[in-house]
Amino acid sequence: MRRANPITRGVLFLMGNERRQRITIPVFAILLSLIASSIVLLILGKNPIEAFISLLRGSGILPKEAYAAKKSMLTDFLSLLNAWTPMLFASLSVAVAMRAGLFNIGVSGQMLCAGFIATITVGYTETLPAVVAKPLVVLIGLVSGAVVAAVIGFLKQRWNINEVVSAIMLNYIIRYIVSFFVKATINNPSTRQSWPVSATARLSLMDTELGGLKMDIPLGIILAAVAVVVVHFLFTKMKLGFELRAIGGNPVAAKYAGINVGRNTILVMAISGALAGLAGVTYYLGYFGSIQPDVLISTGFDAIAVCILGNSNPIGIVFSSLLISVIDKGSTYLQSSIGVRQEIGALITGLILLFSACGAYIAYLVNRGRQREEDAKKLSAGTDGKEAQA
Amino acid sequence: MTYLNTIIIDGLSFALPLFIMAIGGIYCERSGVTNLAIEGLQGMGAFVGALAATLVSGMFAADSQAPMFIAMIFSFLGGGLYAVLHAVLCVKFKANQVISGVVINILATALTTFLTSEISTALFGAASNRFRLTTSVRMTVPGLSEIPVLGAVFTNIYPFELVIILVALVAWYVLYKTPFGMHLRACGDNPHAVDAAGVEVSRVRFIAVMISGALSGLGGICFAYSISVQFSSAIYMGYGYLAIAGLIFGNWQIMPTLAACLIFGFARSGGFALTQVMELPSAFTDVFMTLPYIVTLFLLIFFSKSNRAPRALGEIYDKGKR
Repeated sequence: MRRANPITRGVLFLMGNERRQRITIPVFAILLSLIASSIVLLILGKNPIEAFISLLRGSGILPKEAYAAKKSMLTDFLSLLNAWTPMLFASLSVAVAMRAGLFNIGVSGQMLCAGFIATITVGYTETLPAVVAKPLVVLIGLVSGAVVAAVIGFLKQRWNINEVVSAIMLNYIIRYIVSFFVKATINNPSTRQSWPVSATARLSLMDTELGGLKMDIPLGIILAAVAVVVVHFLFTKMKLGFELRAIGGNPVAAKYAGINVGRNTILVMAISGALAGLAGVTYYLGYFGSIQPDVLISTGFDAIAVCILGNSNPIGIVFSSLLISVIDKGSTYLQSSIGVRQEIGALITGLILLFSACGAYIAYLVNRGRQREEDAKKLSAGTDGKEAQA
Repeated sequence: MTYLNTIIIDGLSFALPLFIMAIGGIYCERSGVTNLAIEGLQGMGAFVGALAATLVSGMFAADSQAPMFIAMIFSFLGGGLYAVLHAVLCVKFKANQVISGVVINILATALTTFLTSEISTALFGAASNRFRLTTSVRMTVPGLSEIPVLGAVFTNIYPFELVIILVALVAWYVLYKTPFGMHLRACGDNPHAVDAAGVEVSRVRFIAVMISGALSGLGGICFAYSISVQFSSAIYMGYGYLAIAGLIFGNWQIMPTLAACLIFGFARSGGFALTQVMELPSAFTDVFMTLPYIVTLFLLIFFSKSNRAPRALGEIYDKGKR
């Protein structure tokens, strides 16, 4: 058997063993998509390096050449955090379900439901002090998201209805019902959205003057950081986390081991839904500030792919969701600085997600290559030995 | 009376594109590949079709219907070609089929939105996020349309409705009456038996996914012509997911799926008519739009025993597995 050429061998060496592949394969997928987007940018006659730098500048990671009054790199970075918060929650939500072998494709619907209920109950309050209103918004979001998702879990446990199907149905039921109520009750006719929520209930402090700068301070990011730690703790240290992973690995074996699969299915969906609800309130009562009727935002669907890119691991998701938020946030500056349409941001995201979906296949190719390499080494070592004997 | 006519006419023109998309989904899922990508496939198909129509429209008279038929052919091809991506991911790369479907949808939205503005800038010099299409003619069959109530079925028909019925008949025949159709259905229930019979499972599935894309693309361009007379990102209204609801409601069989799509179509047009008759605010149509999804959900609960997905649906085919 011949050994592979040096380039293939180099790639195989860089990808490393299965443990290292958990990091190298997503990085490889991102590299592939950056190459693909560079080709698109070159076709448009733009410099890809310049484009990627302006993505980073637009999202406050690198300094811009000039800033408007009361704006700086810090304000840009804070608004990145503001946009990142819901995406981080949504991806965590998908990850919790994914570890237990369930797909929560209903994150967008759960977000909308939580955001809507929090908006109509607390969102327009003027009397409640902020220290009461804001925790109340968080609590309502958490509970309403959990209830919607628990219904999905219950339908699966009781009647064996595929969670993907019921989640899609619930997504659209929620979308139309919320649209109806928004249009009928809290519609602002001039913007065709709901009235913006009051400052006391809003989870992001918008346009706060601090040190001569006007900044949006997202309070939800602190909560999101806590959630990352909690989810990580759940999976690595808690009995429940172990049971969930066992179910995700093999539900039949988990059942034989005495794990209550049905109860855990509902529980995991409720946890996932609670995180989706937090994503909803940090989006609709934080980053965005109002509800647009007739729209199911793409965050919940993007989150599935972001979760795959981050290996369904809370720490991995921190990085993958940040990357997607940087591209999303930076694309506006991309348009104004080098004149590429900001839709390219969504396109780059789409390409990253596409290549990350191929991750399992890349891993398969790499491991097969490594195996062949080892076999070839053994074989050549064997023949060398025989020759020496002869 | 006029309301009843409107309900039937609008209901049919909505139900038939939905039906052809659902047939595409049936092809894909009966072969054992989960298809959540219908939304993206129909959007990409409609994009390719609308682009073709925009490019050729200069060659024809302003009221010519030829661009529409060219658009339908191209959306059929475009959807089929884009579905190759789903097929490669699911069949060749053995990726998770649900994830692949989601990614295909995200990419389709991003790609068509980006390309629409880029291409319209290149063609017309002005950035626009839509392709304008020509208004479709409506046909009325003389004589038959005079029949009370049922006559509405033959009134104000879009030409694409006839094309869809024709394509649907062919699709029905292929799926249930040809050896290929039998192999396809067997791939979804017992791929190992198909393999043992000497038919390559991955090849059948690959073709099935492509057919699914082609039919979804056709459905997409029909929606572009009937609902908005243009192509824009508004094509992603979630009708692809409604088609999935339709095929589950129809128990993965073509004729019951037609019934499901007709119910969805009439529920929608009936809802619109009801809000007009009762002089309710237009927001109430949103409430009626939830009906198809609620009905499907309850149907799944009550008929969870008899409603049966293909047995090998969503499973990656592994020759060595027993």
